Amino acid sequence: MDDEDTITRRRAILAGGATLGFGAGVAYLATRSPSTDSTYEPATIHEGSGASGLGIELSGRPIVGEPDAQVDLYYWTDYLCPFCARFEANTLAKIGRNYVDAGQVRIPFLLYPNIGEYSMPAAVWDRCVWEQVRGDDPNAYWDWHGEVFDVQRSSGDGWADDATFADVTERVADVSLSDVESCRETRGDAIRDQLDADASAAQSAGIRGTPGFVVYNRETDQAGHLVGAHPYDNFETAIDRVLAT
Amino acid sequence: MIGVDRRRLRRSAADLRAALVYPLTTDVRLFGAGLVTIGTYVLLVLSTYPQFTRQLLERDVTDVTYGVSVLTREVYLTRGWLGLALVVVYSLLTGVAVTNAVTLLRHRRRSGATSIAGILPGVLAAGCASCGAGVLGALGFVGAMAVLPYDGTLLRVGGIALLLVFLARAGDPRTCSIGAGGGTDRGASAE
Repeated sequence: MDDEDTITRRRAILAGGATLGFGAGVAYLATRSPSTDSTYEPATIHEGSGASGLGIELSGRPIVGEPDAQVDLYYWTDYLCPFCARFEANTLAKIGRNYVDAGQVRIPFLLYPNIGEYSMPAAVWDRCVWEQVRGDDPNAYWDWHGEVFDVQRSSGDGWADDATFADVTERVADVSLSDVESCRETRGDAIRDQLDADASAAQSAGIRGTPGFVVYNRETDQAGHLVGAHPYDNFETAIDRVLAT
Repeated sequence: MIGVDRRRLRRSAADLRAALVYPLTTDVRLFGAGLVTIGTYVLLVLSTYPQFTRQLLERDVTDVTYGVSVLTREVYLTRGWLGLALVVVYSLLTGVAVTNAVTLLRHRRRSGATSIAGILPGVLAAGCASCGAGVLGALGFVGAMAVLPYDGTLLRVGGIALLLVFLARAGDPRTCSIGAGGGTDRGASAE
Protein backbone atom coordinates (compact mmCIF):
# COMPACT_ATOMS: atom_id res chain seq x y z
CA MET A 1 0.00 0.00 0.00
CA ASP A 2 1.56 3.34 -0.96
CA ASP A 3 1.76 6.38 1.30
CA GLU A 4 -0.97 8.08 -0.66
CA ASP A 5 -3.39 5.21 -0.08
CA THR A 6 -4.73 6.49 3.24
CA ILE A 7 -7.64 8.59 4.37
CA THR A 8 -6.43 12.14 4.97
CA ARG A 9 -8.17 14.99 6.76
CA ARG A 10 -7.95 17.07 3.55
CA ARG A 11 -9.82 14.46 1.50
CA ALA A 12 -12.38 13.89 4.25
CA ILE A 13 -13.12 17.64 4.42
CA LEU A 14 -13.23 17.85 0.61
CA ALA A 15 -15.67 14.92 0.39
CA GLY A 16 -17.85 16.35 3.18
CA GLY A 17 -17.90 19.78 1.54
CA ALA A 18 -18.68 18.35 -1.90
CA THR A 19 -21.52 16.22 -0.48
CA LEU A 20 -23.01 19.24 1.28
CA GLY A 21 -22.61 21.33 -1.87
CA PHE A 22 -24.29 18.62 -3.95
CA GLY A 23 -27.22 18.43 -1.52
CA ALA A 24 -27.54 22.21 -1.38
CA GLY A 25 -27.47 22.46 -5.19
CA VAL A 26 -30.24 19.89 -5.51
CA ALA A 27 -32.28 21.66 -2.80
CA TYR A 28 -31.85 24.99 -4.65
CA LEU A 29 -33.07 23.50 -7.94
CA ALA A 30 -36.00 21.84 -6.14
CA THR A 31 -37.25 24.98 -4.45
CA ARG A 32 -36.53 27.54 -7.16
CA SER A 33 -39.91 28.72 -8.45
CA PRO A 34 -40.14 29.61 -12.13
CA SER A 35 -41.26 33.12 -12.98
CA THR A 36 -44.92 33.23 -13.89
CA ASP A 37 -46.64 35.04 -16.75
CA SER A 38 -50.32 34.86 -15.85
CA THR A 39 -51.58 38.13 -17.33
CA TYR A 40 -52.58 36.64 -20.68
CA GLU A 41 -56.25 36.30 -21.51
CA PRO A 42 -57.21 34.79 -24.89
CA ALA A 43 -59.56 36.75 -27.13
CA THR A 44 -61.64 33.72 -28.07
CA ILE A 45 -62.59 30.43 -26.46
CA HIS A 46 -65.08 28.26 -28.28
CA GLU A 47 -66.57 24.80 -28.10
CA GLY A 48 -65.22 22.17 -30.47
CA SER A 49 -67.40 20.02 -32.71
CA GLY A 50 -66.76 16.71 -34.43
CA ALA A 51 -63.46 14.92 -34.78
CA SER A 52 -60.35 16.63 -36.09
CA GLY A 53 -58.45 15.46 -39.15
CA LEU A 54 -56.24 13.44 -36.81
CA GLY A 55 -59.29 11.63 -35.47
CA ILE A 56 -59.25 13.38 -32.09
CA GLU A 57 -62.77 14.00 -30.80
CA LEU A 58 -63.32 17.69 -30.07
CA SER A 59 -67.09 17.78 -29.48
CA GLY A 60 -67.83 19.55 -26.24
CA ARG A 61 -64.15 20.34 -25.56
CA PRO A 62 -62.94 23.88 -24.90
CA ILE A 63 -60.72 25.31 -27.64
CA VAL A 64 -58.69 28.48 -27.14
CA GLY A 65 -58.31 30.53 -30.32
CA GLU A 66 -60.09 31.17 -33.59
CA PRO A 67 -62.18 28.29 -35.00
CA ASP A 68 -60.50 28.59 -38.43
CA ALA A 69 -56.86 28.71 -37.21
CA GLN A 70 -54.56 26.73 -39.49
CA VAL A 71 -52.78 24.77 -36.74
CA ASP A 72 -54.17 22.75 -33.83
CA LEU A 73 -51.98 22.47 -30.73
CA TYR A 74 -53.70 19.66 -28.82
CA TYR A 75 -52.82 20.05 -25.15
CA TRP A 76 -53.35 17.13 -22.73
CA THR A 77 -53.07 18.12 -19.10
CA ASP A 78 -53.62 16.88 -15.53
CA TYR A 79 -54.34 19.35 -12.70
CA LEU A 80 -52.07 17.35 -10.38
CA CYS A 81 -49.11 17.59 -12.77
CA PRO A 82 -46.42 20.09 -11.64
CA PHE A 83 -44.86 19.96 -15.10
CA CYS A 84 -48.18 21.21 -16.54
CA ALA A 85 -48.16 24.07 -14.02
CA ARG A 86 -44.70 25.04 -15.27
CA PHE A 87 -45.94 25.04 -18.87
CA GLU A 88 -48.94 27.16 -17.90
CA ALA A 89 -46.76 29.63 -16.00
CA ASN A 90 -43.88 29.99 -18.44
CA THR A 91 -44.96 29.11 -21.94
CA LEU A 92 -48.71 29.10 -22.56
CA ALA A 93 -49.02 32.90 -22.48
CA LYS A 94 -46.20 33.35 -25.03
CA ILE A 95 -47.82 30.86 -27.40
CA GLY A 96 -51.10 32.70 -26.89
CA ARG A 97 -49.70 36.14 -27.69
CA ASN A 98 -47.52 35.03 -30.64
CA TYR A 99 -49.67 32.41 -32.35
CA VAL A 100 -53.22 32.22 -30.92
CA ASP A 101 -53.92 35.96 -31.01
CA ALA A 102 -52.46 36.06 -34.54
CA GLY A 103 -55.10 33.54 -35.60
CA GLN A 104 -52.53 30.92 -36.63
CA VAL A 105 -53.00 28.41 -33.80
CA ARG A 106 -55.90 27.17 -31.70
CA ILE A 107 -55.44 25.05 -28.58
CA PRO A 108 -57.95 22.29 -27.76
CA PHE A 109 -57.77 21.72 -23.98
CA LEU A 110 -57.88 17.96 -23.39
CA LEU A 111 -57.43 16.02 -20.17
CA TYR A 112 -55.24 13.05 -19.39
CA PRO A 113 -55.72 12.22 -15.69
CA ASN A 114 -52.71 10.07 -14.72
CA ILE A 115 -50.77 11.51 -11.78
CA GLY A 116 -52.70 10.72 -8.61
CA GLU A 117 -55.97 9.66 -7.03
CA TYR A 118 -57.61 13.08 -7.44
CA SER A 119 -56.57 13.47 -11.09
CA MET A 120 -59.86 12.04 -12.37
CA PRO A 121 -62.14 13.99 -9.96
CA ALA A 122 -60.21 17.16 -10.87
CA ALA A 123 -60.81 16.44 -14.55
CA VAL A 124 -64.55 15.99 -13.86
CA TRP A 125 -64.61 19.38 -12.08
CA ASP A 126 -62.96 20.87 -15.19
CA ARG A 127 -65.51 19.53 -17.61
CA CYS A 128 -68.44 20.46 -15.38
CA VAL A 129 -67.15 24.03 -15.08
CA TRP A 130 -66.78 24.18 -18.87
CA GLU A 131 -70.33 22.86 -19.40
CA GLN A 132 -71.68 25.59 -17.11
CA VAL A 133 -69.86 28.53 -18.70
CA ARG A 134 -69.40 27.59 -22.37
CA GLY A 135 -72.66 29.23 -23.50
CA ASP A 136 -72.55 32.65 -21.88
CA ASP A 137 -69.05 33.26 -20.64
CA PRO A 138 -66.45 30.81 -21.99
CA ASN A 139 -63.58 32.96 -20.70
CA ALA A 140 -64.64 32.09 -17.14
CA TYR A 141 -63.28 28.63 -17.91
CA TRP A 142 -59.85 30.14 -18.62
CA ASP A 143 -59.95 31.96 -15.26
CA TRP A 144 -60.97 28.82 -13.37
CA HIS A 145 -58.33 26.68 -15.11
CA GLY A 146 -55.57 29.21 -14.36
CA GLU A 147 -56.72 29.59 -10.75
CA VAL A 148 -56.45 25.82 -10.14
CA PHE A 149 -52.87 25.77 -11.42
CA ASP A 150 -52.07 28.84 -9.27
CA VAL A 151 -53.32 26.91 -6.23
CA GLN A 152 -51.26 23.86 -7.24
CA ARG A 153 -48.10 25.99 -7.55
CA SER A 154 -48.56 27.57 -4.15
CA SER A 155 -49.49 24.37 -2.32
CA GLY A 156 -47.65 21.34 -1.08
CA ASP A 157 -48.63 17.68 -1.25
CA GLY A 158 -52.27 16.71 -0.87
CA TRP A 159 -53.69 20.07 -1.98
CA ALA A 160 -56.21 18.51 -4.36
CA ASP A 161 -59.53 17.61 -2.77
CA ASP A 162 -63.23 18.46 -3.03
CA ALA A 163 -62.91 21.39 -0.62
CA THR A 164 -60.08 23.06 -2.55
CA PHE A 165 -61.85 22.73 -5.89
CA ALA A 166 -65.12 23.97 -4.40
CA ASP A 167 -63.24 26.94 -2.95
CA VAL A 168 -61.65 27.77 -6.32
CA THR A 169 -65.01 27.43 -8.08
CA GLU A 170 -66.64 29.75 -5.59
CA ARG A 171 -63.86 32.33 -6.00
CA VAL A 172 -63.93 32.54 -9.79
CA ALA A 173 -66.48 35.02 -11.11
CA ASP A 174 -69.36 33.78 -13.28
CA VAL A 175 -69.01 30.13 -12.23
CA SER A 176 -71.85 28.73 -10.13
CA LEU A 177 -70.67 26.22 -7.54
CA SER A 178 -74.13 24.71 -7.08
CA ASP A 179 -74.52 24.14 -10.84
CA VAL A 180 -71.07 22.53 -11.02
CA GLU A 181 -71.80 20.31 -7.99
CA SER A 182 -75.07 19.26 -9.59
CA CYS A 183 -73.23 18.41 -12.81
CA ARG A 184 -70.68 16.30 -10.88
CA GLU A 185 -73.54 14.30 -9.38
CA THR A 186 -75.67 13.82 -12.46
CA ARG A 187 -73.19 13.91 -15.33
CA GLY A 188 -70.15 12.25 -13.69
CA ASP A 189 -70.35 8.95 -15.61
CA ALA A 190 -70.88 10.57 -19.01
CA ILE A 191 -67.97 12.95 -18.39
CA ARG A 192 -65.69 10.11 -17.32
CA ASP A 193 -66.46 8.38 -20.63
CA GLN A 194 -65.50 11.57 -22.44
CA LEU A 195 -62.27 11.74 -20.41
CA ASP A 196 -61.44 8.13 -21.24
CA ALA A 197 -61.74 9.09 -24.91
CA ASP A 198 -59.31 12.01 -24.35
CA ALA A 199 -56.81 9.67 -22.66
CA SER A 200 -57.14 7.08 -25.43
CA ALA A 201 -56.50 9.79 -28.04
CA ALA A 202 -53.33 10.80 -26.13
CA GLN A 203 -52.09 7.22 -26.04
CA SER A 204 -52.83 6.75 -29.74
CA ALA A 205 -50.79 9.89 -30.44
CA GLY A 206 -47.81 8.39 -28.57
CA ILE A 207 -48.16 10.66 -25.52
CA ARG A 208 -46.74 8.94 -22.41
CA GLY A 209 -47.16 11.68 -19.83
CA THR A 210 -48.36 15.21 -19.21
CA PRO A 211 -48.21 17.86 -20.44
CA GLY A 212 -48.46 16.27 -23.87
CA PHE A 213 -48.88 18.10 -27.18
CA VAL A 214 -49.58 17.31 -30.80
CA VAL A 215 -49.00 20.09 -33.33
CA TYR A 216 -51.20 19.53 -36.38
CA ASN A 217 -51.58 21.53 -39.58
CA ARG A 218 -55.25 21.11 -40.48
CA GLU A 219 -54.69 22.10 -44.10
CA THR A 220 -51.67 19.96 -44.97
CA ASP A 221 -52.31 17.13 -42.50
CA GLN A 222 -48.74 17.36 -41.14
CA ALA A 223 -48.21 16.67 -37.42
CA GLY A 224 -45.51 16.49 -34.77
CA HIS A 225 -45.61 15.88 -31.04
CA LEU A 226 -43.98 17.26 -27.91
CA VAL A 227 -44.06 15.90 -24.37
CA GLY A 228 -43.16 17.82 -21.22
CA ALA A 229 -42.59 21.43 -20.24
CA HIS A 230 -40.19 22.25 -23.06
CA PRO A 231 -38.70 25.74 -23.31
CA TYR A 232 -40.77 28.13 -25.46
CA ASP A 233 -38.20 27.94 -28.28
CA ASN A 234 -39.00 24.26 -28.83
CA PHE A 235 -42.71 25.04 -29.21
CA GLU A 236 -41.86 27.86 -31.60
CA THR A 237 -39.73 25.51 -33.71
CA ALA A 238 -42.40 22.79 -33.73
CA ILE A 239 -45.23 25.19 -34.65
CA ASP A 240 -43.18 26.99 -37.33
CA ARG A 241 -42.14 23.67 -38.85
CA VAL A 242 -45.76 22.49 -39.15
CA LEU A 243 -46.91 25.91 -40.41
CA ALA A 244 -44.26 25.80 -43.16
CA THR A 245 -45.44 22.45 -44.53
CA MET B 1 -26.53 -16.99 20.05
CA ILE B 2 -27.32 -13.32 20.74
CA GLY B 3 -23.59 -12.69 21.24
CA VAL B 4 -22.82 -14.17 17.81
CA ASP B 5 -25.52 -12.03 16.18
CA ARG B 6 -24.17 -8.91 17.85
CA ARG B 7 -20.63 -9.73 16.70
CA ARG B 8 -21.89 -10.27 13.17
CA LEU B 9 -23.83 -7.00 13.27
CA ARG B 10 -20.76 -5.11 14.55
CA ARG B 11 -18.62 -6.69 11.85
CA SER B 12 -21.17 -5.75 9.15
CA ALA B 13 -21.26 -2.18 10.42
CA ALA B 14 -17.46 -2.05 10.33
CA ASP B 15 -17.45 -3.48 6.79
CA LEU B 16 -20.06 -0.96 5.66
CA ARG B 17 -18.04 1.90 7.14
CA ALA B 18 -14.88 0.58 5.43
CA ALA B 19 -16.71 0.39 2.10
CA LEU B 20 -18.19 3.88 2.45
CA VAL B 21 -14.89 5.62 3.27
CA TYR B 22 -12.81 3.73 0.71
CA PRO B 23 -13.10 6.49 -1.99
CA LEU B 24 -11.32 8.82 0.48
CA THR B 25 -8.09 6.83 0.13
CA THR B 26 -6.76 8.64 -2.97
CA ASP B 27 -7.54 11.86 -4.85
CA VAL B 28 -8.32 9.91 -8.03
CA ARG B 29 -10.82 7.65 -6.27
CA LEU B 30 -12.49 10.61 -4.59
CA PHE B 31 -12.73 12.49 -7.90
CA GLY B 32 -14.02 9.35 -9.64
CA ALA B 33 -16.67 8.77 -6.97
CA GLY B 34 -17.75 12.41 -7.33
CA LEU B 35 -18.08 12.11 -11.10
CA VAL B 36 -20.07 8.86 -10.86
CA THR B 37 -22.32 10.43 -8.21
CA ILE B 38 -23.13 13.43 -10.40
CA GLY B 39 -23.51 11.24 -13.50
CA THR B 40 -25.88 8.90 -11.64
CA TYR B 41 -27.97 11.82 -10.36
CA VAL B 42 -28.27 13.31 -13.85
CA LEU B 43 -29.21 9.92 -15.30
CA LEU B 44 -31.77 9.16 -12.59
CA VAL B 45 -33.43 12.56 -12.76
CA LEU B 46 -33.56 12.57 -16.56
CA SER B 47 -34.96 9.03 -16.57
CA THR B 48 -37.98 10.11 -14.52
CA TYR B 49 -39.44 11.44 -17.78
CA PRO B 50 -37.63 9.67 -20.64
CA GLN B 51 -39.90 10.84 -23.46
CA PHE B 52 -39.38 14.51 -22.50
CA THR B 53 -35.64 13.99 -22.03
CA ARG B 54 -35.23 12.33 -25.41
CA GLN B 55 -37.11 15.10 -27.22
CA LEU B 56 -35.23 17.80 -25.33
CA LEU B 57 -31.77 16.36 -26.02
CA GLU B 58 -32.58 15.51 -29.64
CA ARG B 59 -33.30 19.19 -30.25
CA ASP B 60 -30.31 20.56 -28.34
CA VAL B 61 -27.89 18.55 -26.19
CA THR B 62 -26.91 21.66 -24.23
CA ASP B 63 -30.46 21.74 -22.84
CA VAL B 64 -29.37 18.95 -20.46
CA THR B 65 -28.97 21.53 -17.66
CA TYR B 66 -32.52 22.78 -18.29
CA GLY B 67 -33.74 19.16 -18.18
CA VAL B 68 -31.97 18.43 -14.88
CA SER B 69 -33.20 21.69 -13.40
CA VAL B 70 -36.89 21.26 -14.25
CA LEU B 71 -36.97 17.54 -13.52
CA THR B 72 -35.31 18.05 -10.11
CA ARG B 73 -38.19 20.37 -9.23
CA GLU B 74 -40.65 17.87 -10.73
CA VAL B 75 -39.23 15.08 -8.51
CA TYR B 76 -39.50 17.35 -5.45
CA LEU B 77 -43.08 18.39 -6.26
CA THR B 78 -44.29 14.86 -6.97
CA ARG B 79 -42.31 12.88 -4.35
CA GLY B 80 -41.44 15.52 -1.75
CA TRP B 81 -38.18 15.97 0.14
CA LEU B 82 -38.00 12.26 1.02
CA GLY B 83 -38.26 11.21 -2.62
CA LEU B 84 -35.59 13.71 -3.68
CA ALA B 85 -33.32 12.74 -0.79
CA LEU B 86 -33.58 9.09 -1.81
CA VAL B 87 -32.33 9.96 -5.31
CA VAL B 88 -29.41 11.93 -3.83
CA VAL B 89 -28.51 9.14 -1.38
CA TYR B 90 -28.72 6.55 -4.11
CA SER B 91 -26.41 8.64 -6.33
CA LEU B 92 -23.84 9.00 -3.52
CA LEU B 93 -23.93 5.28 -2.76
CA THR B 94 -23.54 4.44 -6.43
CA GLY B 95 -20.46 6.70 -6.55
CA VAL B 96 -18.97 4.67 -3.69
CA ALA B 97 -20.10 1.30 -5.07
CA VAL B 98 -18.66 1.92 -8.54
CA THR B 99 -15.33 3.16 -7.12
CA ASN B 100 -15.07 0.05 -4.95
CA ALA B 101 -16.11 -2.22 -7.81
CA VAL B 102 -13.39 -0.74 -10.05
CA THR B 103 -10.78 -1.54 -7.39
CA LEU B 104 -12.13 -5.07 -7.05
CA LEU B 105 -11.88 -5.56 -10.80
CA ARG B 106 -8.38 -4.09 -11.05
CA HIS B 107 -7.00 -6.21 -8.23
CA ARG B 108 -8.65 -9.38 -9.51
CA ARG B 109 -8.55 -10.76 -6.03
CA ARG B 110 -9.84 -14.25 -5.40
CA SER B 111 -13.19 -13.13 -4.05
CA GLY B 112 -13.53 -10.26 -6.51
CA ALA B 113 -16.09 -11.88 -8.73
CA THR B 114 -18.25 -12.76 -5.75
CA SER B 115 -18.07 -9.25 -4.30
CA ILE B 116 -18.93 -7.56 -7.59
CA ALA B 117 -21.74 -10.03 -8.10
CA GLY B 118 -22.84 -8.96 -4.62
CA ILE B 119 -22.82 -5.23 -5.32
CA LEU B 120 -24.33 -5.26 -8.79
CA PRO B 121 -27.80 -6.57 -7.88
CA GLY B 122 -28.06 -3.89 -5.20
CA VAL B 123 -27.06 -1.15 -7.65
CA LEU B 124 -29.57 -2.36 -10.21
CA ALA B 125 -32.39 -2.93 -7.72
CA ALA B 126 -31.99 0.49 -6.14
CA GLY B 127 -31.57 2.13 -9.54
CA CYS B 128 -34.71 0.56 -10.91
CA ALA B 129 -36.58 1.59 -7.78
CA SER B 130 -35.34 5.18 -8.08
CA CYS B 131 -36.20 5.71 -11.72
CA GLY B 132 -39.14 3.30 -11.77
CA ALA B 133 -41.77 5.91 -12.61
CA GLY B 134 -39.96 7.01 -15.73
CA VAL B 135 -39.16 3.52 -16.93
CA LEU B 136 -42.72 2.35 -16.33
CA GLY B 137 -43.99 5.48 -18.08
CA ALA B 138 -41.74 4.78 -21.07
CA LEU B 139 -43.22 1.29 -21.22
CA GLY B 140 -46.70 2.77 -21.33
CA PHE B 141 -47.71 2.24 -17.68
CA VAL B 142 -48.47 5.91 -17.05
CA GLY B 143 -49.24 6.55 -13.38
CA ALA B 144 -48.11 3.05 -12.35
CA MET B 145 -46.03 4.32 -9.40
CA ALA B 146 -49.11 6.09 -8.02
CA VAL B 147 -50.75 2.75 -7.26
CA LEU B 148 -47.71 1.34 -5.42
CA PRO B 149 -47.57 1.73 -1.61
CA TYR B 150 -46.60 5.31 -0.70
CA ASP B 151 -46.29 6.11 -4.44
CA GLY B 152 -43.29 3.78 -4.75
CA THR B 153 -41.30 5.37 -1.89
CA LEU B 154 -41.25 2.06 -0.02
CA LEU B 155 -39.78 0.39 -3.09
CA ARG B 156 -37.06 3.05 -3.32
CA VAL B 157 -36.19 2.77 0.39
CA GLY B 158 -35.97 -1.01 -0.03
CA GLY B 159 -33.66 -0.63 -3.02
CA ILE B 160 -31.28 1.63 -1.10
CA ALA B 161 -31.31 -0.71 1.91
CA LEU B 162 -30.39 -3.52 -0.45
CA LEU B 163 -27.49 -1.49 -1.85
CA LEU B 164 -26.22 -0.82 1.70
CA VAL B 165 -26.42 -4.54 2.53
CA PHE B 166 -24.44 -5.42 -0.57
CA LEU B 167 -21.82 -2.73 0.16
CA ALA B 168 -21.45 -4.09 3.70
CA ARG B 169 -20.97 -7.59 2.32
CA ALA B 170 -18.19 -6.46 0.01
CA GLY B 171 -16.46 -4.28 2.65
CA ASP B 172 -13.11 -2.58 1.92
CA PRO B 173 -12.15 -3.72 -1.59
CA ARG B 174 -8.43 -3.90 -0.63
CA THR B 175 -9.01 -6.69 1.87
CA CYS B 176 -9.25 -10.45 1.30
CA SER B 177 -12.49 -12.25 1.97
CA ILE B 178 -12.25 -15.38 4.10
CA GLY B 179 -15.43 -17.02 2.96
CA ALA B 180 -19.13 -16.35 2.96
CA GLY B 181 -20.39 -14.95 6.24
CA GLY B 182 -16.88 -15.00 7.61
CA GLY B 183 -16.18 -11.26 7.28
CA THR B 184 -12.86 -9.93 6.05
CA ASP B 185 -9.26 -10.08 7.15
CA ARG B 186 -8.62 -6.42 8.02
CA GLY B 187 -5.30 -5.00 6.97
CA ALA B 188 -4.40 -7.80 4.58
CA SER B 189 -3.83 -6.04 1.30
CA ALA B 190 -4.69 -7.83 -1.89
CA GLU B 191 -1.84 -6.09 -3.70
